[in-house]
Amino acid sequence: MSYLNIVEVESAVASLATAFPHTCELIDLPERSFEGRAAHALRIGTAEPGVNDAVVLIGGAHAREWGSCEILVNLAADLLHAHSGGTGLTYGGTSFTSAQVHGILDGLDVVVFPLVNPDGRHYSQTVDPMWRRNRNPAQSGGHPEAVGVDINRNYDHLFDFETAFHPNAPVRVSADPADPDQVYQGPSAFSEPETRNVRWLLDEFPRTRWFVDVHSYTQDMLYVWGDDNNQSVDPTRNFRNPAFDGKRGLKQDLLYAEFVPKTDTDDSAVLAEQFCKALRGVRGKNYTPQPAFDLYPTCGTSDDYAYARHIVDPQKGKILAFTVEWGKSFHPPWAEMEKIVLDVDAGLVQFCLTAGT
Amino acid sequence: MSNEYAILRVRVTAKDADTLRALLRDTRPDVGGRIGQDEDGSLSFDAYVSPEKAQALPREGVTVTTLDYDATATGRARQAEVGQGDQFAPADAVPQGLALKVKDSKGAKDA
Repeated sequence: MSYLNIVEVESAVASLATAFPHTCELIDLPERSFEGRAAHALRIGTAEPGVNDAVVLIGGAHAREWGSCEILVNLAADLLHAHSGGTGLTYGGTSFTSAQVHGILDGLDVVVFPLVNPDGRHYSQTVDPMWRRNRNPAQSGGHPEAVGVDINRNYDHLFDFETAFHPNAPVRVSADPADPDQVYQGPSAFSEPETRNVRWLLDEFPRTRWFVDVHSYTQDMLYVWGDDNNQSVDPTRNFRNPAFDGKRGLKQDLLYAEFVPKTDTDDSAVLAEQFCKALRGVRGKNYTPQPAFDLYPTCGTSDDYAYARHIVDPQKGKILAFTVEWGKSFHPPWAEMEKIVLDVDAGLVQFCLTAGT
Repeated sequence: MSNEYAILRVRVTAKDADTLRALLRDTRPDVGGRIGQDEDGSLSFDAYVSPEKAQALPREGVTVTTLDYDATATGRARQAEVGQGDQFAPADAVPQGLALKVKDSKGAKDA
């Protein structure tokens, strides 16, 4: 076993859909990458599509965070084999019964999209291991260092960061394609096919209630918001209110904090804590459940976008959204990555169980 | 992120939030992971920077420790652990998952 190349990720997904036709459906994402690569996801569940609420799990948005794809491919394989074989699942010291596995597949649509950014992963695995973005050269002006867009800054949440944030807020995003932090947001929100694929997936599964984006690193399980501290007191302090433009993104200030209903914060915290508890049971690793905002505010990220959808458009369902930051380096030796896969997959199985109850 | 120069992995520690914010604004390093807070209140993060940029990071209230003198080389070594070909090409080759698939025991408890 080793890290999967991009052909193997696609092949793994297709082979699971073929091997488990009654519990697994191959989803053909509509957009191809700049280099022409197709992307696929899996819907795992025993019910017809749309009958159950959905958990959407994505990975591989940041090219150099290789293990995210393996985490999701192996999670899909674990659930499908265990369901088919009538077994439970054991991840080190954390175990799940066969009834729990059946409960997940009978009660949820588990949608797994393991490789959002195939061009970037291929480049990272074959040329520059530290590459983070996609490989779209449209804004590069012919400069190699300016190729690519940070997929996880290309969603529409507070995309106009220069207007939204306080001038002194160290927002981790850039309008410069050659930004050395590799956080170029792209020319417009959803300019990239990879982000449009994720948006399409959430639209395609309108009963999505939970969303997890798998990243590395720092051993955290994060939930909204990423642009400022959370507060549940003043609904007028929200990302849509222009009265607070220029005030967002500072920690330990009274200028602004992002509104989120207390019930959503509490539900998110419970899910994150359950994830971390199951993960810790595998071999004792401590991941921290916490809101995403820290000294380094973000915008245009997948989790804030997913949660904000129901606020921007009340016709859309509410999605509690999370980001896993696994491990302590981008590409640990495979022997260690296998252990991290077990850690995180135990957490994700528990996440699905908690979500479904 | 350069192909031509060594990239260092460094641990940057700032004495307080204001110092950290100023550093991030001024230098915009390629940050790995998130910012952590140490017991003494200092803040630290990993960055991937050129040797020249690593030399430019230290200042009043900021210390820099090199964790990996050539993170690109480490990454390139890791590229040798990426699969070749397609292990799932054969019709009967399917990912198995890494968890143990175990029959429920009589005393099995939910996680």
